[in-house]
Amino acid sequence: MPWARHSWRPSLPITHERGYVIPAIDRADTNYVECAGRLADSIRSWHPDANITIITRDDLPHGDQGGFANDWQCWHISPYRETIKLEADMLVTSAIDHWWPLLEHRDVVISQGARDFYGARTHCRRYRRIFDANHFPDVYNAITYWRVSRTAQQFWQLVRAIFGHWDQYRTLLKFAEDQPSTDVVYAMAAVIMGPERVTLPEGSGPMITHMKPHINPTHSDDWTQELTWETDPMRINTVAQWGVLHYHVKQWQPS
Amino acid sequence: MTTGALIFAVNNGATDYAAMAAWNANNIERHLGIETNIVTDLKPTGSNTRHFSDLGHVTWHNLSRVDAYDLSPWDRTLLLDADYVVASDQLLPLLDADQDFLAHREAYDITGCNDFQGLNHFGEHAMPQWWATVIMFRRSTHAGLIFAAMRMVRDNWNHYRDLYKIRQTTYRNDHALSIALLVCDGHALDHAAIPWNLATLTPEHALAETDQDRYRVDFVNGENQRRWITVSQDFHAMGKTQLEAIIANNT
Repeated sequence: MPWARHSWRPSLPITHERGYVIPAIDRADTNYVECAGRLADSIRSWHPDANITIITRDDLPHGDQGGFANDWQCWHISPYRETIKLEADMLVTSAIDHWWPLLEHRDVVISQGARDFYGARTHCRRYRRIFDANHFPDVYNAITYWRVSRTAQQFWQLVRAIFGHWDQYRTLLKFAEDQPSTDVVYAMAAVIMGPERVTLPEGSGPMITHMKPHINPTHSDDWTQELTWETDPMRINTVAQWGVLHYHVKQWQPS
Repeated sequence: MTTGALIFAVNNGATDYAAMAAWNANNIERHLGIETNIVTDLKPTGSNTRHFSDLGHVTWHNLSRVDAYDLSPWDRTLLLDADYVVASDQLLPLLDADQDFLAHREAYDITGCNDFQGLNHFGEHAMPQWWATVIMFRRSTHAGLIFAAMRMVRDNWNHYRDLYKIRQTTYRNDHALSIALLVCDGHALDHAAIPWNLATLTPEHALAETDQDRYRVDFVNGENQRRWITVSQDFHAMGKTQLEAIIANNT
């Protein structure tokens, strides 16, 4: 196996039992560090004692491999025995510590499905055509849990292999993208490992509220200009939000 | 605890809501065994015009529904639209429900011809709509707050129209109820609902009574084929003229 050469232990020593990891590798058009800081603040507003690690470009042990392809390095950086990785452009809008007892029974859990801002599970497939065409599980890397384990090792090394050898892996897929998205790579890894090993039954685990148009009944790409929103507590069009809000519009500057 | 039904029936030039309510009061007593109070002599509080496909534009005296909590003489009230046809005892479980306030969350076309997705939501951003057609409320702080919030929405209708981007100018109790439930439940959308959906008959279908509490609905389906069904359950008759003809036949 291509990943057999690698150590299955994370590179850094484990310093805490549980914590949140937020990758924040800035791009020319997006200040992910700022997004990650805002996400960390929102976690602390609900859980002041939470352990949070923001991963910036300087923290990458294997250097910046470009965009999403850095994702697998989280495995090597997380200082936690149990980690929940969160995408930077999200806000925590309610307590989420109940996730830990839900997830701790598994080695790896990738979240499945998404909700609109009314809290309803979306059936929009506009952004998921490649998933449907390839019969992939409907995974979202935005919330990913793992504990230090052999299963997690396999998962992360597979993620690394798919990113690193995308030109070969993509030949297995219908409608493969030129540059793989993290969600597609996770879905492919899930299929190779067996989805039941890295997901919970649909609807039973954490799920993001996804603010992309088409998932929500908005007309424009920028929902922040179209819908009324309030912070503290977070409401969109007067509807109270809960869980994790994937706000998608990275330039959004909520107070 | 006293229990009864309440129906608002303020006539306009097009529809005799009072006759409709009186007919329904008789049905309610037969099927549910409770009395009905009919509110008829309210002074219309402002004009509201609505377009009904079978009536055209009519003046619609629907602004007083928010007063139901104050006007009801009952401890537990079944508040019904005059055009909700009680043809069975299916509302009886609501009279035993341990809830302060219940309404329908969704309605559906009894013929299956129309998708009610649009009618079950309102405003440009598809806010989930609750239906004010059938409401059960218990005299309680919670129910009182919901009606007070409905009044607030009615009295500030233009503000809420702007907020939820509702294109129609007509005030609707369904919208006010939906907003009021949201406000009173901490802006969450998880209010307890009547555990079945509201059967609805739209005006383009032909409605006739075949026997007591049995109705025939003739319609043309999506493949342009003529079909008919027999209905012996409660339903919301959106076609006022057809219902009026049935009532005239019964009196």
